Amino acid sequence: MLTIKQFASIPAGTDLTALYRARVGDYPKFFKMDTACKLGFLLAEQLADEPRFTPREDRAVLMFSTSGSLCNDRHYEETVREFPSPSLFVYTLPNIITGEIAIRNKYEGETSAYVLERFNPETVVALVEQAFQDTVTASALCGWVDARADDDFTAFAFLVERDGNGKEFNVENLYGTVNQ
Amino acid sequence: MEQLINEIKLKLIDALNLDGMTPADIDDNAPLFGDEGLGLDSIDVLELIVLLERNYGIRLASPQEGKKVFQSVAVMADYVAANRTK
Amino acid sequence: MSRVVVIGESILSPLGATPAENFAAVCRSESALRRYEGMFGVREPFVASLMDRSRWTVPGRTFFDSIVIEAARRAVEAAGIDPASPRTAFVLSTIKGNIEHIDTQDVTLAASARRLSDAFGNPNPAVVVSNACISGLAALVQGRRMLLSGLYDHIVVVGAEVQSRFIVTGFQSLKALSEAPCKPFDAARDGLNLGEAAAAVVLGFGDAGWELVDGAIRNDANHISGPSRTGEGSYKALRYVLKHIASEELAFVNVHGTSTLYNDEMESIAIDRAGLVDVPVNALKGYFGHTMGAAGILESILSMRAVDEGIVLPTRGFTTLGVSRPVRVSAEAGKTDKRAFVKLLSGFGGVNGALLFRKGGAGC
Repeated sequence: MLTIKQFASIPAGTDLTALYRARVGDYPKFFKMDTACKLGFLLAEQLADEPRFTPREDRAVLMFSTSGSLCNDRHYEETVREFPSPSLFVYTLPNIITGEIAIRNKYEGETSAYVLERFNPETVVALVEQAFQDTVTASALCGWVDARADDDFTAFAFLVERDGNGKEFNVENLYGTVNQ
Repeated sequence: MEQLINEIKLKLIDALNLDGMTPADIDDNAPLFGDEGLGLDSIDVLELIVLLERNYGIRLASPQEGKKVFQSVAVMADYVAANRTK
Repeated sequence: MSRVVVIGESILSPLGATPAENFAAVCRSESALRRYEGMFGVREPFVASLMDRSRWTVPGRTFFDSIVIEAARRAVEAAGIDPASPRTAFVLSTIKGNIEHIDTQDVTLAASARRLSDAFGNPNPAVVVSNACISGLAALVQGRRMLLSGLYDHIVVVGAEVQSRFIVTGFQSLKALSEAPCKPFDAARDGLNLGEAAAAVVLGFGDAGWELVDGAIRNDANHISGPSRTGEGSYKALRYVLKHIASEELAFVNVHGTSTLYNDEMESIAIDRAGLVDVPVNALKGYFGHTMGAAGILESILSMRAVDEGIVLPTRGFTTLGVSRPVRVSAEAGKTDKRAFVKLLSGFGGVNGALLFRKGGAGC
């Protein structure tokens, strides 16, 4: 049985730099990230469990959104006419958020980014359950990180475990957790 | 040269999002890449190539060429002074 | 009936409008890679494999949506399934979708997925898997999992990419493009070429045909754009799928083989670490370029066909081994009597994927 262990969210309008300074402070790569990656990174910091920074293949990172990398895509597009920016271009991929979380935490398991029309708990629960068909995956850091603009986003994340001691991971409990 | 070095440091801090750093924090001769110095990486090299073209009209063909130019801010400044077209 | 198998397929590319046409073109060593100047308003010339937009663009749809829907339609027709059934679902694999219209339209990948399922009157939300360059492979893995979940009878997996100023300038800014047709695994390789294509497969349950035995996705946890120096994620993904098969049973490993210095070197390390140095290796980027969201599906379809014909396809552009491990890159067409292969891909975000295909027969 899959269970939900923890939940974290970042309200729209949060000053991400201030949050970074309060919670982390020693990871300058943060300042190179686009808004979606900053959100994913900060959510993962809140959910990270001990021991930290130990390579592990059994932790998956599954990220969902509607906007993908669109917010940063607009920033990159602005540079295209004159001097296309390589450091903006690398963030024009919807899955870089999963890579940033994996790099920071040394999560060497599956990482996947899904784009859905809207946050739909039925679909998210189904996709997460399906990801656990990978027999190495024992837990998954899952998140809905939808950055529509740098100051307009929805961002929350939760940890799903195989046979953990949290509530059962199902549509009802995901609804309940998200709406808390 | 002093002025150019300071100017390059400011542009570097801006282009590479080196948060909280000031020109005084960057040693003129410290390596920009690797574990010492600023610890910049491969994408930073590419962004520095853009920086040279945008600000000084200098076009580098490859990241390999960049590695030589981007040894330190002092080396960069010498290269810019000798090759700038704007 | 618990095996997930391929029951329909399609390919639209500059080399052909069917899997058979594309396979024949590859066997003739054709390539659509050519040099473009001023294309998409890009200042620097570039080499790419581009489709004929006027041929494929349907009125009222973008070029991207047109080829996605057309590729799906052909695969659905080949499979003879009901695309409107609630027991059918669509999975779309792409990286940038309609990005060329960023200034004027809703270019979210979700909107394209919606238009895909709507075009077939399908009631299920279409899922987009956007995992950088492994998207196509990841979408096939996703399709297999959706079937095994018991919720569906058929999954239509469509992968597509169209090129644009957005993408070309991006890869130029990364200094990742070669000014000549790419040379996968070759000593003289100096970058990749971009490509356009759409490819689709319909997955269902069956006892015979091409089975998607198992797939895995693993992250290097190392760097967002630089491949791992130890091939970590690629090796781990290979190790996961190889538990189902002995290396002697593999006809070949169809690698990513983008022809960048670091990708091909990384793959050679992963293949060596996984104990596959004696297995033939081939890459198809010299024919189609890097078709991004389509690559995993396009290259899998051609690899299935090659095994059906008893062939190991040659790696166009390759002559002299230029990686540190003694991998057996196929320069010329070879013969094989094996019935299985591994598809391997890697991408930005440190993500890597391996998928094992095996041809079964009734009672096999």
